Amino acid sequence: MDIQAVYNTPHHIPLGIFIAVYFYFTGLSAGSFVISVISTIGGKTEYKPIGRIGAVVAPLTLMIAPLFLIVDLEQPFRFWHLFVYLNPTSPITYGSFLLTIYPISSLIYAWFLFSGNQKLAKIFGIIGIPLAICTHGYTGFILALGKGRALWSTALMPTLFIVSAMVSGIALVILLASIRTYFFSNRKPQEEIASDRKLILGLGKFMGAAIIVDMFLVLNDILVLVTSSEEALHVARLILFGSFSHLFMGLEIIIGSFIPLALVLIPKTSKSLGVVTFASILVLCGIFAMRVVVVIAGQSIPLH
Amino acid sequence: MAMVRKKERKVRYGMVIDVRRCIGCHSCAVACKAENDVPLGVFRTWVKIIQKGKYPNVSRSFLPSLCNNCDNPICVKNCPVGASYQRDDGIVMVDPHRCIGCKYCMASCPYDVRYVDPVKRIVQKCSFCVHRVEANIEPACVETCMGRARVFGNLLDPNSEVSKLIATNPVTVLKPDMATQPQVYYIGADIESMNPMKTGEVVSIGTEGK
Repeated sequence: MDIQAVYNTPHHIPLGIFIAVYFYFTGLSAGSFVISVISTIGGKTEYKPIGRIGAVVAPLTLMIAPLFLIVDLEQPFRFWHLFVYLNPTSPITYGSFLLTIYPISSLIYAWFLFSGNQKLAKIFGIIGIPLAICTHGYTGFILALGKGRALWSTALMPTLFIVSAMVSGIALVILLASIRTYFFSNRKPQEEIASDRKLILGLGKFMGAAIIVDMFLVLNDILVLVTSSEEALHVARLILFGSFSHLFMGLEIIIGSFIPLALVLIPKTSKSLGVVTFASILVLCGIFAMRVVVVIAGQSIPLH
Repeated sequence: MAMVRKKERKVRYGMVIDVRRCIGCHSCAVACKAENDVPLGVFRTWVKIIQKGKYPNVSRSFLPSLCNNCDNPICVKNCPVGASYQRDDGIVMVDPHRCIGCKYCMASCPYDVRYVDPVKRIVQKCSFCVHRVEANIEPACVETCMGRARVFGNLLDPNSEVSKLIATNPVTVLKPDMATQPQVYYIGADIESMNPMKTGEVVSIGTEGK
C-alpha cells in the first residue's frame, strides 16, 4: 500500500546535546569515584595514585555536570523549584537531591583521603558508592520512564548506564594516571614508576572486562529492539543502518569498544603504556557517542 | 479545588472525534491558535492528513490530533516540580508559574502533543480550552468545526453526546498499549493515519504545503 503523509506538524526534539553531555559527566564522575574507593579499600600503597586521581576527578566532573542541566532549562532561574516543589513519582526529584548529596560526600571522602585519615576515607568511600551508583542510575531511570520512546523505555537502561559509567570512569582514570606518570616521572624513583606502569596496565585489563559487560548489555538491548514493537524496530534500524549508524556502529561499537578491547586483550599491545592510554581515549570517545545516540536517536523517531 | 477520588467524581471531560465527518479544513487548528494565542511554529491541535493507494483507487484520511488529557498521564507522573497536574475533571494542565522548562514531560509523552512556548519559555499544551469550559462554553476547536466532527462533553454523564457516541459507535484511541488511558476517542480513524511509523514524516508536499 502506498501511504504518504500530506500534512503533519513538525517533530521537535525536546532534549538535546546538553543532556547527553550531562549524562556523560555524571557517568565519568560515578565511574572514577567507584574506582577510587575500590583502590582505597584495597589498602595497598601502590594503589594510592589511582585512589587520589579518582577522588579529585569525581567531584570535579560532578560540579560541571549540573551546569549543563541548568543551562538546558527553559527557565534556568527557576531551578530552585526542584528543591521546593517535590513530586515523589518523578526520577528528577530524587536526582536533584542526589546531585547535591553525592558531590558533598565525595568531597568529604577526598578530604579524608588527602589528609591521610585512611579509616574515615574508607567509611565515607563506602557511603559514597551507593550514592555514586544512584546518581548515575537515576539518569537511566529518567530515560527508562520516558515510555513514549522505544529506545529508552527498557528496564535495561539504568544498568546499561551504570556499566557504561564504569567503563568511562576507568578510562578517564587511566588517561589521567598516564599523564601523571608521563609528565611527572623524572622526579620519582625508578621502582615507583614501574609500579605505576603495572597499575595502569592492570586498570586496562579491568577496563576490558567492563567493556565486555557493556557490550553484552548493548547486544541484549539491540536484539530485543529488533524483535519487539514497530517503533523499536524503526529506532534499531536508525542506529544500526540509518543516520546514526556512524555514531553508533562506527564510534560507539567499533572505535569505542572493539578496538580498545582488542588493544587491552592482545598480549603484545596490552603491555605498552601508550597503547593502553590510546585505548582509554577511544573508550572516552565511544561512551560520549553512546550518550549522544541514546539521547538524540531515542527522540528521532516520529510520535505522531 | 479539593481532591476528589477518581471513583467519586461526577465530571470527566473528554472528546469524541468522528473522523468520517472531518473534511480536513484545519479550522480547528486556526481557532485554537486564535483562542489560546499559540505562537508561530507550535500547535496545540492540528489535522494530520495522509493519502494512500494508487490511482484510481485512492483516498485521503484525516486525523485531528490534540492532547489526549489521559486518565493516567505519564507527563504528570514525570514532572519533577509538579507543574503538570490533573484537575478533578480530568483535564491535564501546566502551572505556568511552576514549570521550569526541563522538557521531561515532552520527552516522555507518547503522543508528542506538548511544546515549549517560544515566548513564555515554558511547556504548554491543549487544555480543552479550560477557561471556556469553566464558563460552560465548548472548546474553540469544537465550536468552529463545520462538520461537527469534534464533540466535547462529560464522559461520566450517560446522557451527554460524547457518552452516547462512544456507546453507540466502535471507537478507538491513540496508542492504547501505552496504558495512559487517553480520553480523546476516534470514530472511523484510519489505522495508517494513526501509525506514526508509516506516516510520521511528511514525504510529499501536497497543496497544503508543509
